[in-house]
Amino acid sequence: MRTNTYKIIESIFLNLLVVILIIYIAGPFLWVMSASFQGENELLKKPASFIPENPTTDNYRYVFTGQVPTSYEVTGQLRSRISQEARLIAPALKNSFIIALSVLVINLLFATPAAYAFARLRWKYRTGIYNFILGSRLMPAMAIAIPYYVIIQSLKLMNTHLSLILVHSALTIPFSIWFLTLYITSIPRDMEEAGLVDGCTYFQVLQKIVVPMIMPGLVAASAFAFMASYNEFLFARFLTTSIVSQTGPVIISSISGNPDVSYSLISVCLTLAMIPPILLAITMRKWLTEGLSSTITFR
Amino acid sequence: MSATSTPLEKLRATPRPFFERFYPYGFILPALLIIGLFTIYPVLYALRISAFQYVLTKPNSHPFIGFKNFEDVVTSYYFKTALINTSVYTIASVAGVILFGLLVALLLNSKNRSVNVLKIIILLPWAIPAVVAGLMWKWILNSDFGIFNAVLYSLGAIDSYIPFLADPNLAKLSLILAHIWKEGPLAAIFLLAGLQLIPNEYYEAAKIDGGSSLSVFRFITLPLLRPILLVVLVYETMTAILTFDLVYVLTGGGPGDATSLISWFAYAEIFKSLNLGTGIALSIIIALITLVLIFLYMRALRTEDTIS
Repeated sequence: MRTNTYKIIESIFLNLLVVILIIYIAGPFLWVMSASFQGENELLKKPASFIPENPTTDNYRYVFTGQVPTSYEVTGQLRSRISQEARLIAPALKNSFIIALSVLVINLLFATPAAYAFARLRWKYRTGIYNFILGSRLMPAMAIAIPYYVIIQSLKLMNTHLSLILVHSALTIPFSIWFLTLYITSIPRDMEEAGLVDGCTYFQVLQKIVVPMIMPGLVAASAFAFMASYNEFLFARFLTTSIVSQTGPVIISSISGNPDVSYSLISVCLTLAMIPPILLAITMRKWLTEGLSSTITFR
Repeated sequence: MSATSTPLEKLRATPRPFFERFYPYGFILPALLIIGLFTIYPVLYALRISAFQYVLTKPNSHPFIGFKNFEDVVTSYYFKTALINTSVYTIASVAGVILFGLLVALLLNSKNRSVNVLKIIILLPWAIPAVVAGLMWKWILNSDFGIFNAVLYSLGAIDSYIPFLADPNLAKLSLILAHIWKEGPLAAIFLLAGLQLIPNEYYEAAKIDGGSSLSVFRFITLPLLRPILLVVLVYETMTAILTFDLVYVLTGGGPGDATSLISWFAYAEIFKSLNLGTGIALSIIIALITLVLIFLYMRALRTEDTIS
């Protein structure tokens, strides 16, 4: 009887803990999404309501078409809170996508053969170059910000997609190489040896035998590279000067600096910016979790 | 294999040893070129600038001043503040992240059915950009219209709205709370991976011996989790020391200098005071601090290995 009561109390306590954690983790997301469907006049009430009382898609319509939501036309003061900047989020996210997808492709093309060379082939300077590539990530971003600016300027690439594609690739490839090297080391090599005996070149072995075997690893590496580029802020902040190449985080940060901006519009921008990574994180949960886990459990 | 071996037959005749020698170099060359360009030049450039006076408001005078920039940084009004703020922030947020991660990992590792939702949402804060997380929290904690204030007010916990980001101590706490929210999930995934490495037999043996769940955690889980815990600890320490995006969006280093961390001061020197020399000198100091930490971590891991 005593153990039974104890068990019930324990289970109540555990479930309560889980609920609190879920509110802490998911609450901010749900609130921002909910707020993006509320009019500004509703949001500025005290206290604000978590669930929209008069749900509206006006805020989204404004961001995509420029049609001012009706809730702003009520008073002049609210009108001034409309921020043109919010309308930049759609092109900014398009830039983010172009850059992140290019970075993903470059990571796969550059990191896969390099990882294969580190994991399987024996050659001079192998350890030295491996350490150099991994060590390159130890430079603090702030120290290399100015030199990066100088490089991009002398390549005449300021304010272009290509500048961020290059910089983000340089920042993400070391992790991809490390991750894929661990992955390739962990798979059996009999098939590759058979391929070599059959007369395949190393490139053919990589292409026809190794790549199909490390598919899950490549999927995870792609997702990591995409997310890292999509989320990067500091370099995107000062290598871009206009909406031609500014990315989602740059626009978000500049909106956050505006003290008068409408909170409904902020919510729309935040919601739009977080949809891609959320979809990725949910649909690819298994690969991401396994990929992350393997980086820490590998010895 | 048989399907692919036929077309490859004719390649057998190629003089293998000669070509093979160049394959590894060909494989690494593209990656090495791009990483080399964005590593060697920036490091040399940064080292050079740190030894010159480089103030953008004086564009035509860059005299060599040796270690004067480093001297200026160390004796500056902000250096002590930066070290204190960053240390407090690092200790508090790393402790928070590890506790959060451990708690979530233990829950996810239990057979409890209620954790399924947690399993799905745990990666979300990790997946979104830090500036998005920062702006989300900035608005949630807003002193006039924030939902956190609204919830506390509706529950009757407070009489009037609290200015979370305007009070120095509350702003620090808010920054740490947002940091734990953003970084805790990764720690949870890492620690969960560590928990899953512990063989089930240990737990079964403890069950037979009648150990309570607390003593199982204390005498089985914790010691076996140590190596992973150590790696997470160091990774999270470095993440905390280098925190920048979140500060930039959430507090802007304020109120006053309350939430100005060392990276924020480096940013302010370079982009606000336009003093590249001291800004880069400060960045190099940050790099040295992290290098020392990595060195200590490598040593700790090595002793860990020799013990076990």
